[in-house]
Amino acid sequence: MESQFRNDAIVCPEGLSSRSDFNRPTGTLKPGHGVALAHHGELLQGVFEGTDGRLKRVLVSIPCGIFKSEVRFVPDDSAVVEVEPHWKIKSSRAIALTLNSLGKHKLGGRVQIRSNIPVGWGLGSSTSDVTAAIRATANALNERITPHEIAALAVRAETACDSTMFGERMVLFAQREGIVVEDFRSSLPKLEVLGFNASPNGNGVDTIGFPPARYSWWEIEAFRPMVGLLRQAVSLRSPQLLGQVSSASATINQHYLPTPHFQNLKEICAEVGAVGLQVAHTGTIAGLLFDPHDPLKERRVEDAQTLLTTIGIKHMWVFQTSGNGLAHTKKAGNGNGNGN
Amino acid sequence: MAMATSKITPTVVESVMLPKLIRLDHNLYGAAFFLMKLLPARFILDRARDAGLLHDGSVIIETTSGTFGLALAMLCKLRNYKLFIVSDPAIDPPLQRRLEDLGTTVEIVREPSPTGGFQQARLDRMNELRDAHPGHFWPAQYSNPHNPGAYAPFAELLTESIGKVDCLVGSVGSGGSVCGTGSYLRLLFPQLKVVGVDTHGSVIFGHPDQKRMLRGLGNSLMPANVNHSVFDEIHWVNAASGLSATRALHRQHALYMGPTSGAAYLVARWWAKRNPDAKVVVVLPDEGYRYQDTVYDDQWLQEQNLLLADLPEEPVCVKHPLEAGTEWSCIDWNRHTYEQIMGAPFQV
Repeated sequence: MESQFRNDAIVCPEGLSSRSDFNRPTGTLKPGHGVALAHHGELLQGVFEGTDGRLKRVLVSIPCGIFKSEVRFVPDDSAVVEVEPHWKIKSSRAIALTLNSLGKHKLGGRVQIRSNIPVGWGLGSSTSDVTAAIRATANALNERITPHEIAALAVRAETACDSTMFGERMVLFAQREGIVVEDFRSSLPKLEVLGFNASPNGNGVDTIGFPPARYSWWEIEAFRPMVGLLRQAVSLRSPQLLGQVSSASATINQHYLPTPHFQNLKEICAEVGAVGLQVAHTGTIAGLLFDPHDPLKERRVEDAQTLLTTIGIKHMWVFQTSGNGLAHTKKAGNGNGNGN
Repeated sequence: MAMATSKITPTVVESVMLPKLIRLDHNLYGAAFFLMKLLPARFILDRARDAGLLHDGSVIIETTSGTFGLALAMLCKLRNYKLFIVSDPAIDPPLQRRLEDLGTTVEIVREPSPTGGFQQARLDRMNELRDAHPGHFWPAQYSNPHNPGAYAPFAELLTESIGKVDCLVGSVGSGGSVCGTGSYLRLLFPQLKVVGVDTHGSVIFGHPDQKRMLRGLGNSLMPANVNHSVFDEIHWVNAASGLSATRALHRQHALYMGPTSGAAYLVARWWAKRNPDAKVVVVLPDEGYRYQDTVYDDQWLQEQNLLLADLPEEPVCVKHPLEAGTEWSCIDWNRHTYEQIMGAPFQV
């Protein structure tokens, strides 16, 4: 696989290129830095009708701050982008696309990616790399770039991407088009997640090579009330309602990518009083969802850990989504960590 | 439905197909439809169109004497399909005129079949028409899975507006609205209670077929679309109670709905009072204008001996469908099949 991308060989996409009309001087070339969080699989993944009346494949990610990707980009005038580690070719492609769309046809540079996100578990490692890389590029050039713009670039760089670039902001995201189908105008309500890899000895899932689910017509319709409940969950800031959506989506996904021990996991979820069960729809990550304000939460999480151990799951982690009120509506700044 | 960006709809169907949600008590929500059958009629025609079964000018044939025919007639007019409806003398003349005004050909079967009565005679005539029109489409509301499947937008409205629903109450006629909505909601709320409302003399939940005074719910035939194991509880509401409850819905809540709505309201009101912590949704399928000279006329009610001074307070609970007398009755159906309750599969 080639690790270099010739920037000047890329056709400029529409939209962003108009910015070069401003002809803002970038001054001397300086290194840029970008960060992107991983996600912990999806609260919902399925199909939904867009405002154009067409069905789109969509998802709602659960942002996860324990895993992240950091990118340092040192631009030069070589018109060639070189990435390290060299196999992260999607990130170099993303940087080349970003440079090109910003009108910097002569620029290239060296990219260093540092990430603790395991690959193939369904944590969105490649979109996190790509998002951090695009942010690093924009940062190096003192350009502001919105999550919507990042998504448009990311989907070109890797055919399908998840909604990592929106950070904690909750969106119904069309992963194959890189567009927001519905903006819930809020962050994901606060949740505590007990996460684990349901197939710790497996080889993971090739998320891009994985064939898209062929949902039945009934399942396609069933996503409507699920999205409806997400709207109500956001307005009530309800972990319980989010958990119900998550469990339902995980149940449908069992027809397309079965989660190991799914029946056991459902039973553990009910037994310990978790609000829901959550899975990566293209991966092996799963999680039990808890209400962070539940006074019995600590005990429920401990009980769940004990029960998970009995089905062979040893390695677990706990994190919370921030749930901070309304997300910002202004444009994200340069190299901003989580896009809020 | 995707969030509307415009208040202007392409046709009347999109603007009225979803119900208004009205709070009838602290834990009871009425879903008041203009014409509920627009949902299944639209979904059935959409799926047939997507499957390449319908084209401009296609012939559609159905047998019905109720509101499904009206919904089909509206859609067929708007979409330029040629609709044939086979009905019997029970169809009310204003409805027939309305169908014909929409360009529908209405055929009235005048003589009952020696075996199977008017229902059979209607099916026989429909089959003649189907033979005469090759390439036609038959919506088949009693057996087409797209009938129950049509209710996801309604379920979406409920989850978006109410959140968690604990109990769904609705009249059962074709098995579409209650089985369909219940199945979609139960994917999210596995504990959801589904309460079906039937009437005495309807075969759906195990009564022998008899003449029914309360129309619009129940059936003389067993619709394949009724999934018995969806139901936790079944009620049989008689005509006097159902019609009085229809009037109560109007007098107390100013909701001018049809008798199927009244029967469902009677049961839902009782259920909601007994379960004050549960959120209860009652399906109110159509408006009352077709019943101005009957249900909404005290003199007519009196002549039919259907005028009640007070609504019955509670049902008589029975252990077997055949134990249900003539009064409002109920049974714990417990998500069983017909055969599990009756001891044998349904016999035609």
